[in-house]
Amino acid sequence: MDKGGDAGGQAANNSSDFVRKLYKMLEDPSYESIVRWGEGGESFVVLENEKFTKLILPKHFKHSNFASFVRQLNKYDFHKVRQNNEDNTPSPYGPNAWEFKHPEFQANKKDSLDNIRRKAPAPRKSAQNSEDQFPAQQMDLVNSQLMATQQQLQQLSERYQDLAQGHMVLLQQVVQLQKFIKNHDGVMHRVIGFLHGVDAQRRNNRIRAPFAANGSGMGVGDPLSNDPADDHPASPLQQASELLAEFSAESLPNKELEQMTHDYHLRHDYSTPPNDQCGPTIASHSETPSAHIGYQAGNDLDNMVYPVGHTNGIDPINSEHIHNIPYALPPNGMLQVEPMPEMIPEGSASASRKKGNIDSVWGMTKPRILLVEDDKVCARIGSKFLQAFECGVETARDGLEAVNKINNAANHFDLILMDIIMPHLDGVSATVCIREIRPNIPIIAMTSNIRADDIDMYFRYGMNDVLPKPFTKEGMLRSLEKHLAQFKKTAQFPNPAQMAHPSGFVTSSQSHTPLGLNMTQLSAAQSIKDETSPGKSPAPATTWQSPNQLPGPSPLVGSSPASYMQQPMRDTGPYGITRGTHAHPQPVFAGQNPAAMAGPRGQPHRRQMTEMAGTSGPDEHPEKRQRMYPPPPPPPPPQGNFTQ
Amino acid sequence: MPTDNTRREVEDRSEEGSVGLPDLGDSIDAMTFEQILEMDDDEDEREFSRSIVFGFFEQAEQTFTKMDDALKDGDLSQLSSLGHFLKGSSATLGLTKVKDSCEKIQHYGQKKDDAGTTDEPDEATCLSRIKETLVAVKEEYAEVEKVLKKFYGS
Repeated sequence: MDKGGDAGGQAANNSSDFVRKLYKMLEDPSYESIVRWGEGGESFVVLENEKFTKLILPKHFKHSNFASFVRQLNKYDFHKVRQNNEDNTPSPYGPNAWEFKHPEFQANKKDSLDNIRRKAPAPRKSAQNSEDQFPAQQMDLVNSQLMATQQQLQQLSERYQDLAQGHMVLLQQVVQLQKFIKNHDGVMHRVIGFLHGVDAQRRNNRIRAPFAANGSGMGVGDPLSNDPADDHPASPLQQASELLAEFSAESLPNKELEQMTHDYHLRHDYSTPPNDQCGPTIASHSETPSAHIGYQAGNDLDNMVYPVGHTNGIDPINSEHIHNIPYALPPNGMLQVEPMPEMIPEGSASASRKKGNIDSVWGMTKPRILLVEDDKVCARIGSKFLQAFECGVETARDGLEAVNKINNAANHFDLILMDIIMPHLDGVSATVCIREIRPNIPIIAMTSNIRADDIDMYFRYGMNDVLPKPFTKEGMLRSLEKHLAQFKKTAQFPNPAQMAHPSGFVTSSQSHTPLGLNMTQLSAAQSIKDETSPGKSPAPATTWQSPNQLPGPSPLVGSSPASYMQQPMRDTGPYGITRGTHAHPQPVFAGQNPAAMAGPRGQPHRRQMTEMAGTSGPDEHPEKRQRMYPPPPPPPPPQGNFTQ
Repeated sequence: MPTDNTRREVEDRSEEGSVGLPDLGDSIDAMTFEQILEMDDDEDEREFSRSIVFGFFEQAEQTFTKMDDALKDGDLSQLSSLGHFLKGSSATLGLTKVKDSCEKIQHYGQKKDDAGTTDEPDEATCLSRIKETLVAVKEEYAEVEKVLKKFYGS
């Protein structure tokens, strides 16, 4: 109809078909009672809607739809005349009348009909045009979209394959690492066993000396701890070094993991430099002098126990790296934590044991803890304690589940408590995996295997602390407070860099992690970068120490200096074994810058003592025992374990 | 070392005697067990600790069965890992004696002596030691089970 109108308009006069039909219809007097011109001839009125629709519309417009008719009128810019616009007087044509008008549509003015045009014909025309082109255009569009989608799909599947492959490699690596760890463990045991023998001999000799000299304990420590293995390499030691050499030779064979993690970091635009440390190169036996600080004797020893050269290229003088020295600083570990129970008044210790008396130590935000524990009993008790501390708790039953949880909620947890021996994926391997994703999250080993070599391994693979089992509530809370200082009510971090990276020591142990896995290409610069960058702190050393230097409420901090003094008094009895086995705390002590000692490195070593004593009596309940001995007894009891 | 351990246990007991806990006997470390009891919301119901303890019973009995099987098979590493497993939960509950025995089993299973310091290359020796220890640990377990069941009134 419209098209016809346009065509017709061009043929005869320029008016549209519809308008002329309308005009013609109104000229017919027989419709008078149904539709007619309005009073002034400037509008027309449909008086009888129904009759108009049924009788007239079909005759003139070939349809019987009043709504269509009205729509058509609207298109030609006719307007319905509204009665209420005019003085509220009722319509002169009756209540059901429809009156339409158009300025150019008037009775007896047939010529002006030419001026009545459809509203906005242009869009309609262009629409018609595009109707022809549309299919082609759309096809193109759809095609290109399809292409893009296919490409995306392809990329996704490639990416997926990458990831799947990476996953495989990772798993293989993990298995290899586990093997390595096992073997390494074996070596350590041999070494320790041997040293025990040596030390036992030594002590036997010593016992003959006047025991009174031990009263103060001062004199005993140093001589006792010196040169445990200086005289003869002895067959166990030789065996051990053979075993180790075997390892270095075979190395971990592929660099795929390195490549993979690299890609991973690139993809995810990590702000920290890639941690490529997981790769081969166990080979380097080179030890920088720094490693020797703790050893006055027995170079064999440290090569055997620390064959991995993690201190490569690290400036030994730099206090930042002191924590890298294996066993170098056990004393401050003990200083910071072990003496604490003795420092705090009995009353407060027992008070804090009462459930109701545990005041929330956290500020507005409560930390969220991931508890990884395969044993239901431990897991339940652990979570219960954590809940009592008002921490958010989630549990994972093994290392695999823990890694998955960390993967799925990258920023969800503030700390991980990690059992070591678990099915599927053990705690140490899980830690290695988690470190790839969360280099800074504090991970605390929760285990009853707290021999010195065990503990050192935990630290070397990136754990930050050890909570010996059976854990106590206080022990757990103390660990949490130590590693979650930023959550504490009283936490004061003047420096945002520290805020962002509150547990600086975590980073430090980051550099610990790669031990035994150092990439060949991992230069000193790289490792230093690793340490400093996550915190973005201009002065990493400060950051590291800050957690302990806070004027916070923790008795740990306050007690440090005092315990420092007490330390020498402890060196009696079985304790001596420890010293013989590992570093010689005393020399280190003297040699090092005290600030560095106070530094976070102490934390990882905090349990060393426990554990050291544990070698002689591994069954202890260290935490419990702490309470057992009220104030520091000046002449320590013969068991030496009391410091736990 | 073993002598130290026994001595310390005696000391512990004498010091803990004053804590005023229900008398749980010698085999249970009161201090450790108490902190679990403290977690109970209701000291009459003791719902939490009860479920923990009875969960442990179940676990222990299963573990003993597995240990028996592993002993038959002469599977030392399995015995070691079972020993470790039960060590963890018994230690957490303060079941000192059970824990100590489990640790021995763990060490024997690693072909070590009871303290885990010296190698014991002879598997037969290790197995026979485990066999003895397993008998002992079951007795120790039966004892704590009795005490605990009495404590929980069932």
